Amino acid sequence: MVSLAQQQPIQQSFNPYTENGGTILAVSGADFSVIAGDTRQSEGYNIQTRYAPKVFKLTDKAVLAVNGFAADGNMFVKKVKQRLEWYRHAHAKDMPIRSIARLIQTMLYARRFFPYYVYNILGGIEEDGTGAVYSFDPVGSYEREACRAAGAAQSLVQPFLDNQIYFKNQTPAPGTSFPQHLPLQTVLALVIDSFTGATERHIEVGDGLEMYVVLSRGSTALQSLQSIRGVQEITATNDGERVFVIRKELKKD
Amino acid sequence: MFLTRSEYDRGVNTFSPEGRLFQVEYAIEAIKLGSTTVGIKTPEGVVLGVEKRVQSPLLESNSIEKIMEIDAHLGCAMSGLTADARTMIDHARVTAQNHAFTYDERIKVESVTQAVCDLALRFGESVHDEEAMMSRPFGVALLIAGIDELGPQLFHTDPSGTFIRYEAKAIGSGSEAAQGELQDKWHKQMTLKEAQILALRVLKQVMEEKLDQHNVQLAQVTPSKGFEILDEVGLKAIIEEM
Amino acid sequence: MNSFAQRFSSSGPIAQLAKARGTLADDDDDFSDAVWGSEAGFGNVAKGIPTFTVPSIPDPTSFLQLHTDDHADPSCRIKIQHGTTTLAFRFKGGVIVAVDSRATAGSYIASGTVKKVIEINPYLLGTMAGGAADCQYWETYLGMHCRLHELRNKERISVSAASKFLSNLVYSYKGMGLSMGTMICGWDKTGPAIFYVDSDGTRLKGDLFSVGSGSTFAYGVLDQGYHWDLTDAEAQELGRRSIYAAGHRDAFSGNTVNLYHVKENGWEFIGNYDVNALHYDGPGDVAGSPGHGYGYSVRTEGISSANPPTSSA
Repeated sequence: MVSLAQQQPIQQSFNPYTENGGTILAVSGADFSVIAGDTRQSEGYNIQTRYAPKVFKLTDKAVLAVNGFAADGNMFVKKVKQRLEWYRHAHAKDMPIRSIARLIQTMLYARRFFPYYVYNILGGIEEDGTGAVYSFDPVGSYEREACRAAGAAQSLVQPFLDNQIYFKNQTPAPGTSFPQHLPLQTVLALVIDSFTGATERHIEVGDGLEMYVVLSRGSTALQSLQSIRGVQEITATNDGERVFVIRKELKKD
Repeated sequence: MFLTRSEYDRGVNTFSPEGRLFQVEYAIEAIKLGSTTVGIKTPEGVVLGVEKRVQSPLLESNSIEKIMEIDAHLGCAMSGLTADARTMIDHARVTAQNHAFTYDERIKVESVTQAVCDLALRFGESVHDEEAMMSRPFGVALLIAGIDELGPQLFHTDPSGTFIRYEAKAIGSGSEAAQGELQDKWHKQMTLKEAQILALRVLKQVMEEKLDQHNVQLAQVTPSKGFEILDEVGLKAIIEEM
Repeated sequence: MNSFAQRFSSSGPIAQLAKARGTLADDDDDFSDAVWGSEAGFGNVAKGIPTFTVPSIPDPTSFLQLHTDDHADPSCRIKIQHGTTTLAFRFKGGVIVAVDSRATAGSYIASGTVKKVIEINPYLLGTMAGGAADCQYWETYLGMHCRLHELRNKERISVSAASKFLSNLVYSYKGMGLSMGTMICGWDKTGPAIFYVDSDGTRLKGDLFSVGSGSTFAYGVLDQGYHWDLTDAEAQELGRRSIYAAGHRDAFSGNTVNLYHVKENGWEFIGNYDVNALHYDGPGDVAGSPGHGYGYSVRTEGISSANPPTSSA
């Protein structure tokens, strides 16, 4: 029996965070960008839902993927969208993606002492028409990259992308060289493989896959995209960048 | 306007029964006492020109500062109570830098002009918990020149917080004559050189003293070099050409 | 700056910091009334100085530590990127700045392509060690204030003044959990200059610094090769070689070396070198290159008592 004297006061620490699993990833091409995420949301070993989107269209040239604590993530996306609208009213134009990236840094850093528990990946088209991917840590440090995975299966997916996209630890056949940019079809195949692979080996990944594709004005990747079954266009404006979404099933066990 | 003067011209935030804010109107009058300032837009960039009133031979004319840089792509020329302009230009500079910090891009010319005009109306009683603010309208008009993704632009702002875009605009004491001259001589395909010479010619017409490199100042905003104030050597060369 | 102008420009930096920190409010309150206008949500810099959301609990600092300090608790939720080797030294030809490019979150290599040299403006560089976001954010913020200084005073800010601005700034957040160890490097009226600034509030002027988990390894190489009269090529090679040594021996450092040289007319990016390539092949055909790999196995290859090194080695 425990004596009364030994009982210590219990300190309740403030813990407003939880981890909701899932994985996101983005890859940029020469004139396109692919941003993808699975749709499973879990807490511990419980699957809360099989369809909770983690990838959101911000504008016709920018798509944001959020991973970590779902409540923080949803609130963060909402606030980014609000800021984009205010910007549109004040400056009469859509915010360029590099500006969105900087804005996200300042928004995350404003919570430096009470962080959003969110890993962000921003994908889209730069003002010069090239594909772009920006990745963020929870308090706003950011970097433009060619590809990035984040979330539960980051450590499974990123090495695969390093090998297949950056050609890390690969040697080109004599007299050949690796391409600077991969075509859209190859990238989509790699993204699908990343997620089926992660689903196989990670309990928090699965159920559904959402892939957003952003094409720059006049991108040649359009034909190869239109031949894909189930592709859906969600572009809001004419004669600018075009956004598509492709949904696929992942294993549900 | 002095005929309708009444007690309504004392409060800065009281409309007269005719619907006028006299203090704001008087502030606009104050600009007409200022030195003449012109701005000319061309496809190659924007030119700003000011007259410096050298009231004494002992005055060091290069200490008169009537054209100021807001950012690398934005310049500003003033007329009226130039002391008031310092507050406004500092606000413009801070706004431009805040924008660059938050959005990693150069602020648009219209946005920075809007910011200056927001400030122009913040006189009178303070709101919320802010400290007491400016007790009267600013007595200065600005010509804001700049280049952004929409190309070269020239904006005019006045103490009422109104801003309007112009192809060419003159403000200050000689503005009426100068504006007429600009209307006659300005054309769409002007070169930067032509605009520099036109600005000087217009100033020359309205100035009492003989124009030289000491009593005028020229500045320009171009896509390649951004904002720059022409030095006396460059200015002298243009004066000799006109 | 006169106080009147400052009130309108809402740019008063330090004095208002305390006030800003006092507002624990939800970030909706950070927006000014002019949010629909031209200022349209500068967000947390709407009032000219950044404001921060702080959880309304008795001890916000320990809250932050509980969730972000992966040294104390490797299983903490929010992993802020850490780990680094950075160095800078002054010599007759200017300032050499060299850094690695690895970011770690716990034992995971979060990135191997981090830019740890922050280009504050064309004549000032800052380095990044500690919290990546802290360095990136505050050094960008410093850049904004350097530009305002330039506009207001028609003169470039000195390295000393810039570093002091930064050190005062982070000092006002002392104890709240910021983590940065940075070197502000540049060339001003006094010549080449380096100031070390960290989040404890330390600010030191000096000729040679190295910061980060791999700094001891970098110092080892740096100290034995450093002197004032180094040529540009020798100095660049020393910087490269020192970061390589840290990348080789410190698990938290590595991937690539980024090398910068600050000269009288501003900084110049010299190059990016893969640490692994440096080990086996050296930096390649660049100024100061030894023409072979830095790894000692390369230097001792084929050498034995029966086959002693030639005198030229």
